[in-house]
Amino acid sequence: MEQAPRDPERQLQPAPLEPLGCPDAGLGAAVGKEAAGAGEEDSGVDTMTHNNFWLKKIEISVSEAEKRTGRNAMNMQETYTAYLIETRSVEHTDGQSVLTDSLWRRYSEFELLRNYLLVYYPHIVVPPLPEKRAEFVWHKLSADNMDPDFVERRRIGLENFLLRIASHPILCRDKIFYLFLTQEGNWKETVNETGFQLKADSRLKALNATFRVKNPDKRFTDLKHYSDELQSVISHLLRVRARVADRLYGVYKVHGNYGRVFSEWSAIEKEMGDGLQSAGHHMDVYASSIDDILEDEEHYADQLKEYLFYAEALRAVCRKHELMQYDLEMAAQDLASKKQQCEELATGTVRTFSLKGMTTKLFGQETPEQREARIKVLEEQINEGEQQLKSKNLEGREFVKNAWADIERFKEQKNRDLKEALISYAVMQISMCKKGIQVWTNAKECFSKM
Amino acid sequence: MAGGPPKALPSTGPHSLRDMPHPLAGSSSEEAVGGDSTPSPDLLMARSFGDKDLILPNGGTPAGTSSPASSSSLLNRLQLDDDIDGETRDLFVIVDDPKKHVCTMETYITYRITTKSTRVEFDLPEYSVRRRYQDFDWLRSKLEESQPTHLIPPLPEKFVVKGVVDRFSEEFVETRRKALDKFLKRITDHPVLSFNEHFNVFLTAKDLNAYKKQGIALLTRMGESVKHVTGGYKLRTRPLEFAAIGDYLDTFALKLGTIDRIAQRIIKEEIEYLVELREYGPVYSTWSALEGELAEPLEGVSACIGNCSTALEELTDDMTEDFLPVLREYILYSDSMKSVLKKRDQVQAEYEAKLEAVALRKEDRPKVPADVEKCQDRMECFNADLKADMERWQNNKRQDFRQLLMGMADKNIQYYEKCLMAWESIIPLLQEKQEAK
Repeated sequence: MEQAPRDPERQLQPAPLEPLGCPDAGLGAAVGKEAAGAGEEDSGVDTMTHNNFWLKKIEISVSEAEKRTGRNAMNMQETYTAYLIETRSVEHTDGQSVLTDSLWRRYSEFELLRNYLLVYYPHIVVPPLPEKRAEFVWHKLSADNMDPDFVERRRIGLENFLLRIASHPILCRDKIFYLFLTQEGNWKETVNETGFQLKADSRLKALNATFRVKNPDKRFTDLKHYSDELQSVISHLLRVRARVADRLYGVYKVHGNYGRVFSEWSAIEKEMGDGLQSAGHHMDVYASSIDDILEDEEHYADQLKEYLFYAEALRAVCRKHELMQYDLEMAAQDLASKKQQCEELATGTVRTFSLKGMTTKLFGQETPEQREARIKVLEEQINEGEQQLKSKNLEGREFVKNAWADIERFKEQKNRDLKEALISYAVMQISMCKKGIQVWTNAKECFSKM
Repeated sequence: MAGGPPKALPSTGPHSLRDMPHPLAGSSSEEAVGGDSTPSPDLLMARSFGDKDLILPNGGTPAGTSSPASSSSLLNRLQLDDDIDGETRDLFVIVDDPKKHVCTMETYITYRITTKSTRVEFDLPEYSVRRRYQDFDWLRSKLEESQPTHLIPPLPEKFVVKGVVDRFSEEFVETRRKALDKFLKRITDHPVLSFNEHFNVFLTAKDLNAYKKQGIALLTRMGESVKHVTGGYKLRTRPLEFAAIGDYLDTFALKLGTIDRIAQRIIKEEIEYLVELREYGPVYSTWSALEGELAEPLEGVSACIGNCSTALEELTDDMTEDFLPVLREYILYSDSMKSVLKKRDQVQAEYEAKLEAVALRKEDRPKVPADVEKCQDRMECFNADLKADMERWQNNKRQDFRQLLMGMADKNIQYYEKCLMAWESIIPLLQEKQEAK
């Protein structure tokens, strides 16, 4: 008899990847190859072009947004925004693209797609959607979902979401994703038919696992901690940035008042009049320049928001690991207790409490035949249990390997993207400073002519 | 000035210009005046406030030693003085070195006044005395009293709301010092006020309090004269030019008040913006601590925002210390000018009333009684002095505002340049590829 594994948490070599319920099972091998290829890559190379030959072949864009009215599930009138998704296939090497698919989707359908991906690819850091409701707004920005600026930024966010999936080595091969881009009608039914909602882990189960798991992989624990902190710091940053934008707006706008008063003053002056008047004009220019400046900055805020939401996706992967680990621990524990029971029955010693043992004491010893039967059942269960434990172990390690591969990919992407975001933010600030210098230099010249 | 009775100083009024020692005593009179004291009509017309000539109600030339001609030539002198600025100056005054004095009864600040002059009115070429605010206040009221036909520059506000502003803080003291320095320089630049006896004593006396106690009423003939003008006469018609000045000052003060409010509001908004920036920068630092490859870039951004915050603070400090006080000064200036205008109106009103009274008493014609002549005299001198001072004031105002507004633009340019430098310097840091991990 095999010794009960003393530490079920000891990791064994993982089995090859097999995505859960992958609709395009035929591509499984190809996916495996892709994934392996990814591992060999130099971290600096853009994984987008390398791993995803699909992206090379197609272009996706969310090109329009349209207000629509319709009837919802409760047969009530509602207004919503629909987004046009266009897919182009790049035919020739000269980059000519041909429109292959074009359909309209609303936000809730994007959500459905994402929820599906979360269930079927728990080891992947699934790209997040742009925010459902406008948050971190400063006073001039509207919190209204129907506001054209919000809709525009959401359109860009949705396009980004699709591009992220299309450039992911694994997600891009998903059939449901493909259908999302190509099959307008009936897509919702198709997704629901996969039964993914049933496969989803319950929140309660996940929460339970988080509290009770004894030995999760330390890397995941650290990662979870990191994602919590990241979420907290980016939220804080976005909140303060919104307040900073508010204040900056105020500073610029008040300068507009100079325009009017200089004009009025110039009316009573002789030599000073012209200089004052033209300087006032520059003050007006200064005051109105802030609108464009802050609009550009919203783009930076959106880039930060994406990673704020990515933190949640990271946590989801960690939770899945905890769940699987907990499951494994429970299975190992169960197996150990069954083996012990079996041993006790065979040797006749009673060390552990069992109901059967109790009743035996109370109602008399069981017959040797009865005991034999019980031992046999237990032995069968133990066998089954060992098989299950083995596969759970493999599953667990496979999960860890693949999840960690995707996490590494994600880290590279995050560092690249955020560096770009910081650079573009710095560029925005530089542009703002240069505009400021220009305006005040012009004003100074007008003043010098007073 | 050593002890002894104060010398009779040159002043407007009864003395003819030719009796006055020339203000620019050091240089040759010919060079200064062009060898001729007759005003050129073009010069007068170009400068005067929209009028061709001084308006004389009775059309004739009044008898007596005071003549409109001398007033006109005085006007000419004043204009010429303005032209020869800087090179032939013979009086320099600086206010600096504020010091705190703690006494049993009170605590106060004194300022050092350094005077350098080649004028004969000063016994020594250089003086250094210490004065406190109330001494300046005393000087100003003495000037108002003794030179009522002239525009006296304003002092910074006397009373400071305790608890709101710390009147011993470095910023407050420095702002006040600059204003007091400006005050004395404006007097120094004035061809009449700079020769005032009280001014001289203020600059030179070791013990100003003793002099104050003497209660020397050093009224000029004009001062004496205007002092006794009774109010209560209603003015018939204000001459166009003075009405225009009055209207101008009204609107001017209004616009300045608006600008003052706008400037204050901007500073307030900038300070609130600064508060947020001071919270914003450090968040990037906090984030940096979580990251590996991004740690340096994030830290760089944090430092950059910190630099911008410092630059902003410098801007708001500068605006508060340099911009706002000058605006307020000019508002005070135009207030005091309006009271001088009122006084002028009273002088004219009295003259017109007396003249009318004389006209009604037909037996006294055609001889004009002496006291009516005196009134006319007074009025004409007042008008001339005021016109000349207005002109001077307009020019100075233009220069002051030109400098003030250019300064404001400059400060903003400097702020943006500092921020630009900060952001440009971190671009290479952000673009840097990390070799070793």
